[in-house]
Amino acid sequence: MHKKRIMAHMIPYYPSPEASYDVVRGLVDGGAWALEVQFPFSDPTADGPAIQGACTTALENGFTVDKGIDFIKKIRKDYPKLPVFVMSYASIPYRVGIPRFVSIMAELGINGLIIPDLPPDYDEGFYEECITRDLQPVPVVIPDMTEERLSLITDKAGEYIYAALRKGITGQHTELGEDNIGLLSVLKNRGYKTLAGFGIDSPEQVAKLSRHAYAIVAGSVFVRICKENRDDIYGSVKKKVEYLLL
Amino acid sequence: MQLYNDFFGRFGGRYVAEVLRKPLDELEQSFIAAMSNEGFLSELEYLQKTYIGRPTPLMFAENASNILGGSKIYIKMEGLANTGAHKINNALGQALLAKKMGKSRIIAETGAGQHGVATASVCARLGLDCTVYMGEVDMARQRPNVYLMEMFGAQVVPVSSGSRTLKDAVNEALRDWASSWDTTHYLIGSALGPSPFPDMVREFQSVIGKELVKQIEENVKEDVEALVACVGGGSNSIGFFAPFIEQERPALVGVEAGGRGLGNGEHAARMTGCGVEGIVQGYKSMFLLDSDGQVLPTHSISAGLDYPGIGPQLAHLGETGRVIFTRATDKEALEALRFFARHEGVIFALESAHAGAAAIKLAKEGSPDKAIIVNMSGRGDKDIFITAKIIDGNRWRDFLLSEAGDA
Repeated sequence: MHKKRIMAHMIPYYPSPEASYDVVRGLVDGGAWALEVQFPFSDPTADGPAIQGACTTALENGFTVDKGIDFIKKIRKDYPKLPVFVMSYASIPYRVGIPRFVSIMAELGINGLIIPDLPPDYDEGFYEECITRDLQPVPVVIPDMTEERLSLITDKAGEYIYAALRKGITGQHTELGEDNIGLLSVLKNRGYKTLAGFGIDSPEQVAKLSRHAYAIVAGSVFVRICKENRDDIYGSVKKKVEYLLL
Repeated sequence: MQLYNDFFGRFGGRYVAEVLRKPLDELEQSFIAAMSNEGFLSELEYLQKTYIGRPTPLMFAENASNILGGSKIYIKMEGLANTGAHKINNALGQALLAKKMGKSRIIAETGAGQHGVATASVCARLGLDCTVYMGEVDMARQRPNVYLMEMFGAQVVPVSSGSRTLKDAVNEALRDWASSWDTTHYLIGSALGPSPFPDMVREFQSVIGKELVKQIEENVKEDVEALVACVGGGSNSIGFFAPFIEQERPALVGVEAGGRGLGNGEHAARMTGCGVEGIVQGYKSMFLLDSDGQVLPTHSISAGLDYPGIGPQLAHLGETGRVIFTRATDKEALEALRFFARHEGVIFALESAHAGAAAIKLAKEGSPDKAIIVNMSGRGDKDIFITAKIIDGNRWRDFLLSEAGDA
């Protein structure tokens, strides 16, 4: 029996500044292994409508980088052992200054930083800066990459790699088959802890993927739960994690 | 200028999630191969002549020049190209390339609608399926172009996310492409986005500047002191400027949307004091961003200029001083529109009217032995629902009400 770990994606200040911390509590109490905290960006091109809408709402609710930092600090204080990863788009670290942004994240003690539009050959010094600051950069790989490209990217990884399980954007259902499971096997054989996501919304997917990946990332599914269950966000999020881990 | 540059100084690049890597690599290879393929180039040239109607004329604006009393003004009439704007040059080039690549479907985004109309049109001509993403705000203010796209058989998809304008339509098109690139080409309408788009769009638009070189030799007796073009993303200006970039003269002038003023959300002036360096939508350039890197809202009376970024090559040329940037307000653009309509019998698109406004100012400062050439990148038919309301509000309202009564 393989251990099932869920890395639960969430967006601070969505659906509201206060309720987003209820989401954190619900995810943790439901049994999430780690949190992927997305710093919302106005133009998140790799995300689907659910996450994009949530990012827009979070920004309307007053999210700023400073508030995101405070949010992570609170998580670190309340859940000191919980792995926390931060995900965002290049515009934010680039504008803040990549050395400064990486340094802030390192000081927060997060476990990894995911910036999908700073790939290793257009990274603006992001990977080197992470290494200098002893912070793990988490590169993103996809099925059907050439071996050359895969190696270029995996060479930049630390302990973790994020595997997007199909082409497209977040939030659409993903079929598990030879291409994506094959990629996971390659990464596992090379000794990486793979965080596998995109379109995960069922316990069957989680169970199947857990044989091949270190942790399974679920995101849009929680955003939808938050949208549909405003009266009991904590309870409904908690129940959803428990369900996915069945 | 090299065919493929990727970066221009420190601007440009390919800052995309891994999922878009493969289609961009494939596109880059196909583009480079096509541009040295005689068959492709001759087919493109044939369609430019017989379908677009190239070359477009260079008109001496004699009345305007006499009234202003300074430098002579010439107008490159891109608005006379099929579908009414320069956008068709790039749409045709990319669609033909996509067809050679074996793609059966084209997606595009559009702001003012001219790129959408051009794309829908070439897709009809070349037998390709077409989907156009358009912000809801732009759909409302450019309704005539929505009808035209649909007449060409395109599916126009309203975009309701974000500011519901061009940048949001770009996001939607990128999302579509991320899952559909096996069969689909994303036909970006301006000289921006991840490489190879800025290079590719410049090359397909450089037909404007190449024609201009010949037309200056044949028709312009004055010393050409400046070329003036409006700049949203920058496709008309980079195509217009292309053959002149590596020369020292004439001056190249890019005109941004000064909108209602320089407050946040009131303009799209990225190169004249308000923009900062950033990475958005796959490329590094100058953008309107807040201190956290979030994209700021924009405004222009012209739907084609209110984009928060600018093509990376233009950003670089602005920084090196080869392109001089200025801006024109909504009001100045409308005044220029009326001036050229009244005295030259040409109706500029609201975008190009910004260039017209800058040309008027420059001409006044010059002398009659000098010439200024302004690119009328499109004609103003599409703007009638905006301009008529401002210029002749009551009678336009009565007309619309009577039309609605008949509907």
